[in-house]
Amino acid sequence: MCLTIKPFAMRQILYIFISAVVISSCISSDSEPFNERNFDGTAYRPIYVTESELNNIRISPPSELKDPGKIYISDPYLFINDRGTGVHIIDNTDPKNPVKLSFVSIISNYDIAAKGNWLYADNATDMLVFDISDPKMPKLAKRIVNAIPVNNFPPFQSVFFECVDEKKGTVINWEKVVVDKKPKCFR
Amino acid sequence: MFSVAVRQNHCTMKKLIPIFFICLAIAGMVILISSCDKNSSESAVSPQSGQGGSMARFAITGNTLYIVSKKSLEVYNITDGADPVKTTSKNMDIGIETIFPYQNYLFIGANDGMYIYNNNSPQNPALISKYTHIQSCDPVVVQGNYAYVTLRSSTFCRGNATPSSLDVVDISNPSQPSLVHTQSMESPYGLGVQNNRLFICEGDKGLKIMDITNPKLPVEKQLLHDIPSYDVIVRNNRLIVTGSKGLFQYQFDEQNKMELLSKIPVL
Repeated sequence: MCLTIKPFAMRQILYIFISAVVISSCISSDSEPFNERNFDGTAYRPIYVTESELNNIRISPPSELKDPGKIYISDPYLFINDRGTGVHIIDNTDPKNPVKLSFVSIISNYDIAAKGNWLYADNATDMLVFDISDPKMPKLAKRIVNAIPVNNFPPFQSVFFECVDEKKGTVINWEKVVVDKKPKCFR
Repeated sequence: MFSVAVRQNHCTMKKLIPIFFICLAIAGMVILISSCDKNSSESAVSPQSGQGGSMARFAITGNTLYIVSKKSLEVYNITDGADPVKTTSKNMDIGIETIFPYQNYLFIGANDGMYIYNNNSPQNPALISKYTHIQSCDPVVVQGNYAYVTLRSSTFCRGNATPSSLDVVDISNPSQPSLVHTQSMESPYGLGVQNNRLFICEGDKGLKIMDITNPKLPVEKQLLHDIPSYDVIVRNNRLIVTGSKGLFQYQFDEQNKMELLSKIPVL
């Protein structure tokens, strides 16, 4: 828009100059956080779970919804994810009277899909398969390790973060913390 | 065709008239046939195994389970439901968020756009195109020739600088998706579509009902403040919504009358 052709070269140069200034100011404001001077004393720290915590899948009687997230229907069942903690299995034969059947406790679970007798759920980076032929008593049928690749950095840009140490376990989340020293990792 | 005819002299123009009508008839036939085709594939998809909301990272069509991770599309054969077998994994750019299968396509929502994959060979989808937009969180649903994409700005999806919006993308040519309309939104999460209704979860602001009689131009009809909403499934005039107050099921009619069927509250 700024670059409409004008008869006078001087004016063109002026426009080009102005747009160059505008563009460069955008670039610098965007890339500013990459400048390490911007370290503000905070950083993201990975929250780990150990393998035994990850593998701790429990089937519980129906429980209350706490932080409902995504939903999936596979008639006559309705699956409600409780964010980060597991899946409620509901009999939705009568939508006027949905009946809670069970709760499958799965750490770092956000996603579900189902077909027939099988329920698929994420468990951090793993995928779980449950036999739900008895939906009151689902059975873990299979675990596929590392089915869902993750990034070893927080889902934010232009931030410092504590580098991931895979020996500590699987990263399930990131928390913002005050740190004394600037961490090595940055994105 | 007209412009060709106009350039000819009067005599040839007369000769061209029957040809014009023949062409018109052929065009009409093609449109008819292609619309039949679309209907048949639509009904082929409808007895589906299950249905998720637009926020989903997991989706099933037929015997295939799709998972989008933050940076890839993972494809599993679930012919034996107990034993998913990985058939392929497609690397994608980072920032992948949602997957929505529609007819023979997969629509994948990412932080910077929407990918369209051809799904003719379900266990080995092929990338057709990418519709690029500003950085945001963006689930997508599709009906007919249009994809509805919500773009939510939040710190999580980089920057609050740009306002949230609803984009309507013409996907009649999947290799060339094009933006036909955009309008601002509050804080959109999941969305659902059925016939001339588009439902948009506006987080704690409520559930928005839009009329899409003109599919290119959604018109806001109601904002139900008392239904905080995150994910939604719309099916057979029924609405299943989750949000901070719990799970709500509604029946709706053409007059936007919403009858609450049941709720499972958050306690």
